Amino acid sequence: MTQRYRIRWTKEGRTRYISARDLTSVWERGLRRADLPIAYSEGFTPHPKVSFPDALPVGYASTGEYAELTFVAPIVPDRDLARLSATLPTGMDITTYLAVPDGAPKLARMLKATLWELVWPPNDVAELTELLHRRSRELVASERAEVVRRRPDGDRIIDVRPALLTLAASTRPTEGGDVCTVLRAVLRNDGPTVRPTDLHAALSRDDIAEPLRYRRVAQGEAVDAGLREALSDAVVPLVPDVDAEAA
Amino acid sequence: MLGAATARRAPATPPRGERLGFRAPGAAATTPPSYWDVLEPLLEQVRKPAQYVGGEHNQILSAWNAASTRWLLCYPDTYEVGQPNQGIQILYEILNERSETLAERAYAPWIDLEERQREQGIPTFSLEHHRPLWAFDVLAVTLPHELGHTNLLNLLDLGGVSIRADQRGVDDPIVLVGGHAAYNPEPLAPFIDAAVMGDGEEVTLEVDDALAAWKRDHLAADTAPGPDARQDLLRRLAAVEGVYVPAFYAPRYLDDGRLRQTVPIEPGVPALVPKRTVQDLEQWAYPRKQIVPMTETVHERFSVEIFRGCTRGCRFCQAGMITRPVRERRPETIQKLVEDGVRDTGFNEVGLLSLSSADHSAIGPIARDLADAYEGTTTSLSLPSTRVDAFNVTLSNELSRNGRRTGLTFAPEAGSERMRAVINKMVSEEDLLRTAETAFSEGWRHIKLYFMVGLPTETDEDVLAIADLGIKTYGIARKHGKANKVTISVGGFVPKPHTPFQWCAQDPPDEIHRKLSLIRHAIKDHGGLKLRTNDPEEGVIEGLLARGDRRVAAAVERAWQLGARFDGWHEMPTLDTWLQALEETGISLEWFSYRERDDKEALPWDHLDSGLDKTWLWEDWQDARSDKELDDCRWSACYDCGVCPGLSIEHDTGYTGGFQLPVLPQGLGGGSQQLPTAPERYASGG
Repeated sequence: MTQRYRIRWTKEGRTRYISARDLTSVWERGLRRADLPIAYSEGFTPHPKVSFPDALPVGYASTGEYAELTFVAPIVPDRDLARLSATLPTGMDITTYLAVPDGAPKLARMLKATLWELVWPPNDVAELTELLHRRSRELVASERAEVVRRRPDGDRIIDVRPALLTLAASTRPTEGGDVCTVLRAVLRNDGPTVRPTDLHAALSRDDIAEPLRYRRVAQGEAVDAGLREALSDAVVPLVPDVDAEAA
Repeated sequence: MLGAATARRAPATPPRGERLGFRAPGAAATTPPSYWDVLEPLLEQVRKPAQYVGGEHNQILSAWNAASTRWLLCYPDTYEVGQPNQGIQILYEILNERSETLAERAYAPWIDLEERQREQGIPTFSLEHHRPLWAFDVLAVTLPHELGHTNLLNLLDLGGVSIRADQRGVDDPIVLVGGHAAYNPEPLAPFIDAAVMGDGEEVTLEVDDALAAWKRDHLAADTAPGPDARQDLLRRLAAVEGVYVPAFYAPRYLDDGRLRQTVPIEPGVPALVPKRTVQDLEQWAYPRKQIVPMTETVHERFSVEIFRGCTRGCRFCQAGMITRPVRERRPETIQKLVEDGVRDTGFNEVGLLSLSSADHSAIGPIARDLADAYEGTTTSLSLPSTRVDAFNVTLSNELSRNGRRTGLTFAPEAGSERMRAVINKMVSEEDLLRTAETAFSEGWRHIKLYFMVGLPTETDEDVLAIADLGIKTYGIARKHGKANKVTISVGGFVPKPHTPFQWCAQDPPDEIHRKLSLIRHAIKDHGGLKLRTNDPEEGVIEGLLARGDRRVAAAVERAWQLGARFDGWHEMPTLDTWLQALEETGISLEWFSYRERDDKEALPWDHLDSGLDKTWLWEDWQDARSDKELDDCRWSACYDCGVCPGLSIEHDTGYTGGFQLPVLPQGLGGGSQQLPTAPERYASGG
């Protein structure tokens, strides 16, 4: 009797540098250390049944990674997934889980949109936040927003606009006691892929530095105030609620 | 540009003379800076950044100012090649088990990161806390082969430490090397402070004790250390059995350039420095808490060394000569190490390591018990070894219970019976073909055969016998299935110190090329038989550094200055750089590599005692030239190689009487289309 769970997990700190191809073995070893009855595929080289909806670029942070785990025997999710979370490398934590009933729609179909976050260092905060406000309004009002994505195998023109649902600039305190500028944007996951780097390119006219960090905050369904997270139904706001997120 | 990051500078490297505060024992020490914050922004610009971040399961984090002595353990190649090394992992664990000792790890940054480190002033760093090399007491480097020598110089230079030992002062780390290439450290003599031959477990702790005592005497006091303090440390290290301090010895040459003798020039140091040998492996059941990498490495498995040493007596094999005698780990200890280790690490593969794993006296029960324990699970078992001929098909069947019978590898090493007698690889053609017959009839699909060309006394007939053996084996393969495959892998032989072939001439690459084309031509009508070869040029630097003397050091330094590093990598063709360095420093390959030596000539490692009696090695070399074979002394009479009485130790195995082992396959083959590179070949070694 197999059991499926969908989980939301983080990829922060040093684990940001684990590549998508190395993640499978990191999870497999974590599951084995936690001694959980993960299911394996058939065949000569069995793989654990851990599936990820999509890959995060190396170096990006995330509190919005997802996975679907299939177990061959029942687990006690509160206890066992906490144990799994504890055995994963520091920076990878399981934050939410949901048992999957039979016939549930595919996980990828629940992840219709992504809330991305661009975080700048605590410099030029007022000016930068104001500029981002202005550019954001212009971007939302425009019909097209073409940017050049530079790649070794040739540049590509990307129209950012169709994927962009909402965005907002704001500020928040840093760990070091400063204040920094944050831009959150909800991008559609269907249609041609638009990356948060493309969004930066659409906002900057060579006057906004690369953010210090790109972070995938959560995935789910776009709503007015931000994004309804797929597993918890909680709304993740466009303007980060500092007090709530610290708690 | 709004929101640009404040330019972050790497913490300045304090000039030499101002680093002692970092070295003080215990709470008095200044903790050196972490370079993580300046390193991190560079990681998105380089290949495989996860290799630089540390943070793996089982890494050990110790506070700088809680330790009296601080070691940086280093494998002078990339993380992906060096991380699985057993030697480093053993020392990491036993040093960190000491309450007042701290050990962190470092590997060579790939050239893309090195370039940025130099731009930004980021020194060679440890993975645990990203601390700079220059702050540690010891840089302990394992040299499993010779192709990390330029990387060692580069790591020192990048780490803010002078590459030349005689320019290091009291606040510089001690540069200590071990591993198989440390059995001839002469080409590195000006760059290292000390070398240790043999098993590292005991001697490393003794060096740590000597270091701690020296620090109490010189660095803990209120007064500044005297001008003789570093020299005193070197003298204390040289007093530890098995520690060789090159500065205390000098080579003397004959007028014709041959070496006359290497003599001690410091009172009290031994004329002959012995290797260290651990008699009872049971007391050293390590590594237990193996590092679990978060990024791809060459061997991702829980590895257990099932015995150390080998007395098969293959004359080309340095490992089999210098690691004698044979000391087995008990089956119950192996079983426990495996079960605890698999549970702790989550690895899905277990590697049973040794120079010839099927030679363990209890390999049958060991394999059966492990196969029973993991039957029906997703944990697989392997007996990796690059050299072995003793592994039977039954054993492979046992170990592959959970998997597919794909490839087996045999290492006949030479094609003709005569040539195998010369190298003392006691495998008959009949045995080999019978084993191939068994393997294919029991469902194995692919056999790989490893050979060498360039062996002493080799004729073209011997070379062509390689092709012939391949063709015959392929005939057997086809009989059992049209899709079955045979691959012959042929590499050029590189003579190594402390072996009976230490006197012989190495074939120049042109000659190796010619011999390889003889084979290629001979098999051209046998389409299904595959030939894989190493680039013959790869053996040139390895051979020079293996048997070079102290004069070769000038070429190592020059080659490094000219940009040579990662000498074993296909991606980094450094031969032309080396040839220029040899030209400029007047070092001749003809003289050092392609010339046969006689017994009148002193060898650069004569003052380093591997336990082997030089007279015995010479006699074995003469026996080789008259095609005379020698038995394995584990199950036949002692032939006085000198090791056991010289070290007052003996074989520690389960063998009670003599018995015959059949010829046998060696490891479960992978699917790579290329021969392993030198770093890969040696990566798993202890």
